[in-house]
Amino acid sequence: MKRFALSIALAVFAFGVFIQGADAAKWTSEMKEGKPEFKSMGPLAFGPDGILFVADTKAAAITAIATGDTKADASAKPLKVEAINQKIAALLGTDADQILIEDLAINPISRNAYLAVSRGRGPDAVPVLVRVKADGQPEVVSLDKVKFSRAGLPDPPADAMVGQGNRQSNPRRESITDIGFLDGRLFIAGLANEEFASTLRSIPFPFKTVANGTNVEIYHGAHGRFETRAPVRTFTTFKIGKEDHLLAAYTCTPLVQFPVSELKPGAKIKGKTIAELGNRNRPLDMIVYQKDGKTYLLMANSSRGVMKITTEQIDKAESITAPVADKKGLPYETIASWTGVDQLDRFDANHVVVLRRTEGGSLNLESLPLP
Amino acid sequence: MMRRLIVKTQRDKGTKRQKQALLLILLCSFVPLFLCVEKARSGAASQDQVLIRWTPDPVNPSRVAVEVSGLSAGAIKRLRQSNWDLSRWQRLLSVYVGQGDSINASSLPPMLGVYRVESNALRFEPQFPLEPGLTYRAVWRPDQLPGGSKVAPTITSVFQSPRRSATPTTLVSHVYPSADTLPENLLKFYVHFTAPMSRGNIYDHIHLRDGSGGNVELPFLEIDEELWDTTMTRLTLIIDPGRIKRGVLPLEEIGPALETGKNYTLVIGRELRDGAGNPLREEFQKAFKVAPPDREPPDPAHWKIHPPQGGARQPLAVIFPEPMDHALAQRVIRVITESGEPVEGNVLLEDQERRWIFAPDSIWRRGRYQLIIQTTLEDLAGNNIGKPFEVDLFEGVERRLSTTAVKLSFEIR
Repeated sequence: MKRFALSIALAVFAFGVFIQGADAAKWTSEMKEGKPEFKSMGPLAFGPDGILFVADTKAAAITAIATGDTKADASAKPLKVEAINQKIAALLGTDADQILIEDLAINPISRNAYLAVSRGRGPDAVPVLVRVKADGQPEVVSLDKVKFSRAGLPDPPADAMVGQGNRQSNPRRESITDIGFLDGRLFIAGLANEEFASTLRSIPFPFKTVANGTNVEIYHGAHGRFETRAPVRTFTTFKIGKEDHLLAAYTCTPLVQFPVSELKPGAKIKGKTIAELGNRNRPLDMIVYQKDGKTYLLMANSSRGVMKITTEQIDKAESITAPVADKKGLPYETIASWTGVDQLDRFDANHVVVLRRTEGGSLNLESLPLP
Repeated sequence: MMRRLIVKTQRDKGTKRQKQALLLILLCSFVPLFLCVEKARSGAASQDQVLIRWTPDPVNPSRVAVEVSGLSAGAIKRLRQSNWDLSRWQRLLSVYVGQGDSINASSLPPMLGVYRVESNALRFEPQFPLEPGLTYRAVWRPDQLPGGSKVAPTITSVFQSPRRSATPTTLVSHVYPSADTLPENLLKFYVHFTAPMSRGNIYDHIHLRDGSGGNVELPFLEIDEELWDTTMTRLTLIIDPGRIKRGVLPLEEIGPALETGKNYTLVIGRELRDGAGNPLREEFQKAFKVAPPDREPPDPAHWKIHPPQGGARQPLAVIFPEPMDHALAQRVIRVITESGEPVEGNVLLEDQERRWIFAPDSIWRRGRYQLIIQTTLEDLAGNNIGKPFEVDLFEGVERRLSTTAVKLSFEIR
């Protein structure tokens, strides 16, 4: 009987492994193995099976990397790394002042933290992907031989070189302000440094034909009923009722929702502003979490601290279509003790990892209990 | 090029050794780095003369390797046969970068790099070039050699990477728009520098001052990554669309950044750092007056084309009734022949971005040509061809989302 039970267990395990393997293969079968080239590393987002999406603004491309970091670590403990910027600088042989941490993403399987780092601030800056495991020691992720695929930003406006002779260059660049993955699609919010057009693009993953991207402009009714074309600063996915939505935050700080199903090629989307969270502020990062049966948004900001935003009434939220003096819509509380938070990502059901600037100027990477 | 090497050892105790070390430091002041070595008697192999050398790559001097030579043939053989991981190599030889105001330096990890066992030396090649002006410290622990004596003293060698020139040389070369009267709903400035710049905290050093000399609060859309071009010689500053006055309604928030009839100054502070980490040579100011808002989309039908004579390389001139966005006017307007072939050449903008000048690479052939103008072209207020910057969505104004082009024909006679 025991042997039978063991056989059943083994069979179930093997089947599970097979299914898992098949599922993983679905995402990686069209990847190639080698060394992906990066000109820069900006926003990061994890997809399924340890696949990390890395936005390369300088190259106007997104690279999906199969990190192979797919082993769940039940013993993963909350992180606390003081002066992570100095430790990374030591690894890379430079001064902490020359380290820019562009984004933070937590691998939802292994709980390891990934950081997009720029070594240097000038035109010769080198992008480096850094991982911090539970031991708190940063390590450079070798990208010499990994499975990866790459997609150029779809539908770029027509480009041309300007200048004369050797000075000819194309000065146009498109900044990527945030990326996010949901159900086989990668969402990319961006802003160009020339024509003023804020875009939110959706491209299918696995990347197939690059040209198949969706290019959607976002409209919202804040700022006196006029379209602003302001760029999305950060966004997250959120289910309202049974429908997936993107919640996008803008400077000064409207929170705008729109259904993912409407993000189709050529679609004209009008977002619904469901909260004005305060002026003189820009949102930096945002996650969704559950606590005590309720769902909250946690948003880091440049000057209004970390906001815990209640979403109970989100399905009934009215569209804000007139200018407001300061705040309106979904209520929030500010987590007063969480000062200096630049980046955040969910660690587990009970913790968030933040990148936090101390008064001395160094950056700490630490896990905090979800408020 | 003269480089300095500071040599420190923890096991020099006798007067003779001190004299040797002093002599070595003195020598190091006069000889190139790669000849400057530390000599030490290794406790692990008592007959060895261990030397730590910092050897720059002759092609790229910032690429500096650390070589430990003078090891016994037996030690080299044992190292070659070892199958160590990086952390094991780092226990034997590690190189640290000095960080002035760092947390407890002992908690900082050594630099990443590759270890190679050569015929008579162990070589460490850092993964990244050394940073100008920083000190680096190599620590050799012979007690970590395979079979090494546990009492062998540690040897440390310090290297000062040459500093860059600290003389400020970089300037703001131009700010676009060039005009000194700008619309109230101005959308962008382009700031050009004479040399590549550095990223980080730029918005702390760039201000918009009003007529009373006070700074306008948060006038720019602050993008963490900052809107530099690829050469990092041009910065785009976008006036926060939330701070642009709309219609007759002033914002109830902090008010518009610019108001008609008032004077302002864009100030690019000296503290902005160039690619070498130096401040600008001097502060830059652009004073301007604000005119009523421009809500009219540009209309190429009102442009005047001045075709040159055929058979020569005289430039083609196009006159706009209002200034255009400097970057876009250079990039999104091109010339094609009647059969659709592109005409190669260079574009200049003159007369405060009201005159578009195209100098062809070859002589003009007589015939019909077309100007192809992408509708993404913007005027100073961000109005595109055929669509104003602001659209009142609640009044059902449609917007075209596709990128299209407008064509203007002209003839070269």
